[in-house]
Amino acid sequence: MKKIDKKIADAYFHARVRLISILLLFWFAVSFGMVLFAETLAEYTFNGFPLHYFMGAQGSIVVFIILLFVNAYISDRIDQKYGLVEKRVKATKGQTLQS
Amino acid sequence: MDTQFLVSLLLIVASFGLYIGIAVFNRARQTSEFFVAGRGVPAIYNGMAIGADWMSAASFIGLAGTVMVLGYDGLAYIMGWTGGYLLLTFLLAPQLRKYGRYTVPEFIGDRFQSKTALVIAAIATIIISFTYSIGQLAGSGVVIGRLFEVDAKVGVMIGVVIIAIYATFGGMKGITWTQVAQYIILILAYLIPVIFMSLQITNNPIPWLSYGNVVSELGELDRELGISEYFAPFESASKWQFIALMFSLMAGTAGLPHVIVRFYTVSTMKAARWSGAWALLFIGLLYLSAPAYAAFSRFILMKQVAGSPIDSLPGWTDKWVNTGLLTMADTSGDGILQWKEIAISNDIVVMATPEIADLGVFVIGLVAAGAMAAALSTAGGLLIAISSSFSHDIYYRIINPRATERKRMSVARWSILIATIVAGVVALNPPGVITQIVAWAFALASGTFFPALILGVWWKRANAPGVIAGMIVGLVVTLTYIFLAKYGGFTILGIIDTGAGIFGAISAILTNVIVSLSTKPPSQKLQDEVMDLRYPEQLTFKDGEVWKDDRVI
Repeated sequence: MKKIDKKIADAYFHARVRLISILLLFWFAVSFGMVLFAETLAEYTFNGFPLHYFMGAQGSIVVFIILLFVNAYISDRIDQKYGLVEKRVKATKGQTLQS
Repeated sequence: MDTQFLVSLLLIVASFGLYIGIAVFNRARQTSEFFVAGRGVPAIYNGMAIGADWMSAASFIGLAGTVMVLGYDGLAYIMGWTGGYLLLTFLLAPQLRKYGRYTVPEFIGDRFQSKTALVIAAIATIIISFTYSIGQLAGSGVVIGRLFEVDAKVGVMIGVVIIAIYATFGGMKGITWTQVAQYIILILAYLIPVIFMSLQITNNPIPWLSYGNVVSELGELDRELGISEYFAPFESASKWQFIALMFSLMAGTAGLPHVIVRFYTVSTMKAARWSGAWALLFIGLLYLSAPAYAAFSRFILMKQVAGSPIDSLPGWTDKWVNTGLLTMADTSGDGILQWKEIAISNDIVVMATPEIADLGVFVIGLVAAGAMAAALSTAGGLLIAISSSFSHDIYYRIINPRATERKRMSVARWSILIATIVAGVVALNPPGVITQIVAWAFALASGTFFPALILGVWWKRANAPGVIAGMIVGLVVTLTYIFLAKYGGFTILGIIDTGAGIFGAISAILTNVIVSLSTKPPSQKLQDEVMDLRYPEQLTFKDGEVWKDDRVI
């Protein structure tokens, strides 16, 4: 066990919270946002669909899936930046959080 | 006994033989090298296993029919059941994974250090799983009813017997490779008919790209008939109902005990994130196809069935009329079956369409096998959740802490049996269509577990009195609203029974926050444990300081 600077640990936490907040904004826009403006979207068509129907049946779900993969990928990068890579071997000195 | 009966039965039996075979094979291996060699299951397969757990009768049998009947308004189910995975994966799964308890009631009991909270959570688990399993039993009634060409009620009774035997043997839960096989069969059984219908109607083998024009054409057919267009928004209920239902399904997804449990089987927070992403990709495949299924079914019904003479209807109609879920009556007396004279239950659309479109005995049988797997496996898992909540959390922890292992096992067996029979009795006369019944279970989860878990993980100040009051208020408000809206005609902003979760969640969060703030904060140790959830496994929060574990995990 090694003590690490609380500030760095907090920076890690804030980086994750920021990421999640941004992704949830997109989530809200493609779900609740699209429903709130369904009547307006209905005037447009996309690939044969009325646009509001397309968003509900396909668009929003595809965006959800992309957001989840983006989260997994960026979170891995954040872990890496803070030296939290899961390794089967001992972490080398350069990768620790020690400041 | 016709060919169809034999082929369907054979495919059902063969697919179940496959699941059980894999389970037996894996049990034998587990004792030897399995645990030593492998460090948990790769996220992609865990994602498939989550997908199989998730796809119940509601998704497989009920969803496309609901979208077909409700039009745009039915898409609330599609967006709600997929969007909830973001709340789960972003806000709850990694943290609950780190906390490391086996069930949701156990997490709530330990996080708030309160036996009362644990018991209330156990009771809520029982109520939610019970409601959910009614939907599954109703689904098995549809499949078995069609198979034996009997009333769906008789089908439910046969289903109850099969599920009782199946669940007492421990089901096939928890064995990841069985779940993977089940996912593959489920998704094939769902996609093959959609692709065939797409070829038949649009000459395009990719249904997701081709059905847009079919949706537009359905709107035109509706205009000619003088009814509201298929895709017109908010025709069956208000916009607020759509939003309330979607919220309720999303929050319920994040709070459903039997889904969260799946994330405990992964090894790290990182694995939890990737499993969640893969899970939604695999689940999304079915959810992206359901509206296509719905559009093709409606198109076939409107173009090929409606308008034909009433005395020369094809053979499949009788078999479905026998289940009591389809009525075709020439009420106008002109000898022609009109679109408006067809009353088709949401629950038979997926099962009946392959027959209507004449896709052949094999495809029809495959759909029956997929539907049975969806209904039976989920029902089995839910009944096991009920019995473990009762025998472990309530009986062993509260009523009789000195019970022997054998006594507890027998309590568990009896509670499975009683729960199956009671759920079966309710399912004989289902209080709604499958998706609606399952939506109530989600509303209850969003009114009880969602607030308790979100505040428990993200707000260290939340305490035992707060969570107890919150769960009780959430449960009472949601249940009351469901009953008032369904039987009393009481609604707010046009929100009906299925959207009740939004009121439950709001009142539970408010109660939890107000009661927590007006009572003593939780002990420093509990607050430290919540702080600890901010960091991944390698970091530990203790006495205001963060420690890093350099050991190999």
